[in-house]
Amino acid sequence: MFKILHILNLLFLVSFAHAQGTKGSLLIKNGTILTVTKGNMENTDLLVENGKITKMGKGLVAPSGAQTIDATGKFIMPGIIDAHSHIGIDVVNEGSRPSTADVWVGDALDPLDISVYRALAGGVTASHAMHGSANAIGGECETIKHRYGTLNPEEMRMEGAPRTIKFALGENPMRVHGEGNRIVPATRMGVEQVFRKGFEEAKAYLAAWETYEKEKVKNPAAVKPVYNRRHETMAEILKGNIIIHCHSYRSDEILMLLNVCKDYQIKRLVFQHTNEGFKVAPELAAYGAMASVFADWWAYKFEVYYSTAYNAAILTKNGVVTSINSDSEEYIRHLYHEAAKTQRYGSLSDDEALALITINPAKQLGIDQRVGSLEVGKDADIAIFEGHPLSVYAVPQYTIVDGVVRFNRSKDAADQRLQASATRAETGFFLHKEQHNHDRCLEGAFENTASFFGLERE
Amino acid sequence: MIIKDLVFSRWIYPLLKKDKVTGFFAFMLIGSCLFAQSGIPELTPVTQTYVLQNVQIVVRPGQIISGGTVIIQDGLILAAGKEVAIPAHARKIKADSMFVYAGFIEGLSQSGIPRPEAASGAAGPRTPGQGQQRPRVSDPWNPTYEEAGITPYVRVRDVFKADDKSIEEMRKLGFTAAQVFPIGRMLPGQASLISLGTGKNADELLLKENTGLIASFSPASGAFPSTLIGVMSRLRELYKNAARLQEYQKNYSANPLSVNRPVADKCLEAFFPVLDGKVPLIFQAPDMKSVYRVQALKNELKFGVHFADLKEGYYVGDLLKAEGKPIIISLDLPKAAEEKKPAADSSKSVVIKDVEMEALKARSAEEMKRLETQAAKLAALGLPFSFSTVGVKATDIKETIRRMIKAGLSEDQALAALTTTPAAQLGVSNRFGTVEKGRTANLVVSDKSYFDEKSSVRYVFIDGKMFEYEGKPAPKAGGNANAAGKGAEAPKIAGKWSYTIKAPGMNSEGLLTFKGSGSDLTGEWTSSQVPGTNPISNVSVDGNKLSFSSNISMGPRQVTLEFNLIVDGNSLSGTVGVGTFGTFDVSGAKIDGQ
Repeated sequence: MFKILHILNLLFLVSFAHAQGTKGSLLIKNGTILTVTKGNMENTDLLVENGKITKMGKGLVAPSGAQTIDATGKFIMPGIIDAHSHIGIDVVNEGSRPSTADVWVGDALDPLDISVYRALAGGVTASHAMHGSANAIGGECETIKHRYGTLNPEEMRMEGAPRTIKFALGENPMRVHGEGNRIVPATRMGVEQVFRKGFEEAKAYLAAWETYEKEKVKNPAAVKPVYNRRHETMAEILKGNIIIHCHSYRSDEILMLLNVCKDYQIKRLVFQHTNEGFKVAPELAAYGAMASVFADWWAYKFEVYYSTAYNAAILTKNGVVTSINSDSEEYIRHLYHEAAKTQRYGSLSDDEALALITINPAKQLGIDQRVGSLEVGKDADIAIFEGHPLSVYAVPQYTIVDGVVRFNRSKDAADQRLQASATRAETGFFLHKEQHNHDRCLEGAFENTASFFGLERE
Repeated sequence: MIIKDLVFSRWIYPLLKKDKVTGFFAFMLIGSCLFAQSGIPELTPVTQTYVLQNVQIVVRPGQIISGGTVIIQDGLILAAGKEVAIPAHARKIKADSMFVYAGFIEGLSQSGIPRPEAASGAAGPRTPGQGQQRPRVSDPWNPTYEEAGITPYVRVRDVFKADDKSIEEMRKLGFTAAQVFPIGRMLPGQASLISLGTGKNADELLLKENTGLIASFSPASGAFPSTLIGVMSRLRELYKNAARLQEYQKNYSANPLSVNRPVADKCLEAFFPVLDGKVPLIFQAPDMKSVYRVQALKNELKFGVHFADLKEGYYVGDLLKAEGKPIIISLDLPKAAEEKKPAADSSKSVVIKDVEMEALKARSAEEMKRLETQAAKLAALGLPFSFSTVGVKATDIKETIRRMIKAGLSEDQALAALTTTPAAQLGVSNRFGTVEKGRTANLVVSDKSYFDEKSSVRYVFIDGKMFEYEGKPAPKAGGNANAAGKGAEAPKIAGKWSYTIKAPGMNSEGLLTFKGSGSDLTGEWTSSQVPGTNPISNVSVDGNKLSFSSNISMGPRQVTLEFNLIVDGNSLSGTVGVGTFGTFDVSGAKIDGQ
């Protein structure tokens, strides 16, 4: 017993040590570098200094004190980025009204979530921690780096990442608010009206503040408008400072939101799930809207029945910046497999397939200048695989965030929790958080199926 | 027997209402009962001067006067020391060689605040199959302040009950004053320092009004803000709009002829003292993440803050040290998980050592150690703190402090947390917290060192008024369980209950079935939303509180439901937490007629 305690204590100290040094230096020797954007480099070294990639070439020397990782026979790829997940947060849905643009999941970051470590074990270094889809306009999301080991929620943020917000089309907001509260939106038309109303209110809000600013010059006793965070956020979308990430399935609704955005001159728009994106790929490409999809996951509710595993390939070939996401703390562990499916369904090239989980999600989150490919000057967010990551035999070995090794397969312990329950000896098998399995994107799937089969008792 | 509020009068002892009285008073019993019932007011004692001789005066933590004398007169400490002249009219209290401490102060408390009624009455239990109902929120877009749990205007004096039994429970532990706040959600109201003496109403016991605005991350039920992120957002909005209103009001009073009249707002106005830096936000931050979140909010909005109800301070000692703000740690220390005894016939089967379970238990034990060590760790960092009793059973308090001492807290540090630190945090050190001449006569007299396992509180003085207690707990008499004031008969849980969970758009109804009793309670439940029967786990009954959880699969999802209910006879009410989807109201009733 003492020995176990001792080992656990050591692990704990190691985690704390990581948390303190958030930027690391190290040398990765002699691997096959998959840059994703600039081809592959065999038998090449990669040097990281103070969290950034500073050199890629042969015969590089580690600075004194820096760790060296021998990557002979291994593949070095950019850390995988998940454009849609709900890990590392304590709250997914503030489902109390049809628009909650005033809330922000960045207020509820959870560095203790074991899913963050598990994502690292799948080579994922950053994810888009999203609000759920209960509301037509959900809350702001947060782009997090998987700095497993820190206890401080603030240290999980990817500092400098653009603001993003969750929108949602279709059944979820209709059910939660229409069926649930008997208010708009009860229909798909109503969902559109929630958006338009939100933007109109934001315009009026901006106008009120402009009037005040002008009035204040002449009259120091001018009265400030009432501060409203919902309108503030919507106004920031109008100003182009926030990227919309919209939960969507049906093509007619996708076009609807495109039209709304056109009317309000909103350019930065990413569709999430986008199962019928293949039907409107040219329209998406023409608008510059992007799409984040599942490889082959659908039919969990009615609006998701019309789908194809060729979706990502069709979108890609039509010029839509496309990513494959997890929306699940389980899928996030093998996004490289999900990306590889596009080679079976759509014959994408290695770089095209890898882009789906690296540079493309980075573009969708507005962080492609920092991460998403292996280039000198970029953040040292790196995954090292045994086997090519698109091979079914691929096994992640090391996952590095800002030059700090956050996952090392050879040191993976049975219990990687940062904090345990003092009162319950939980078994590792159940150490998941139910909300991270599936957010409200799948919410209602069961109920709808149950009612279809007449299982409901009402 | 407890002689509550021993009063000297030439003719009567009107407060002697207890069933047993010592021989000296016995002859007065019948008469006093009659007088008490006929409502004759309490009379002033003949003398309000008391003397405690040859006592260990713990003046303040670390400063002891052995063989000292304490004189109490007219509510104040007249003298405390070695060479003290004893007034002729002083009543001598039998306290030879006992320990005298300054009266304890609850750093944060809900003593004297009655629990809300179990059932709100608005929606009684309904039978399954009645269909969905409109939620009770008037307008989901604009819930009222009350629906949103935003009631910072509520004052303790408006909700305090001077005769609540919690006051006597705390008093007999040695607590003489408490920073009390109203029950509520994100902004439940204003805290006040309240005397734990006897009085007819809150005003008689009010020592200091509005010592801080209480804030927490507790969301509303079914209305915005229904989650942590909603609370964070709403707090920012309220704070900024309070600043706006304050500025607006100033403008208006300066230019009443040219500025439109601002609309008054009792919630926003409650923030004014915080904006002015006169009172802090006393922020409940039990877990480490909450501490970080409070810090982030404070940095953003720049309010004065007290970190309250800390349980995981172990992890954030450096942060707290850097912040240097007042700290109130929670006395709500969980009890260690009870080892399940192996079944009697375990010898028959081969016992397989579960290596993983052993490791998990070790990890749990380690975590428990961190919780127990919080106080010692903060003290070692030189951080003063007081104790919060919010959500704590009075009977657990002494044992909890002893566990903290066992984990490294010194007795002096524990005493500071009970006396000098809360007095300083509340800005009343000139009146409370030490045993010194001129201070309010709030004292605890213990027959041994208070922190000794076998010690008993024998006298408590509040404002110079004496409360006397028996040395040893009265032996439990079978028929007297209720008369003891607490430990009222445990409700009968076993049986069938119907229940309704009110969630927006998804009212769920069904049956709860419990079998067994006490720690052997098991159960299962059915729901209109989930087919089949679901097992219930972690059933716990504490007085009339019933809690349990259940894991259910909804399609691909695993959802944990955490029920926290109050059982009142044949009805139950409370909340259920459904993962991160929120917390919803539950009501129900027993249907098998037991």
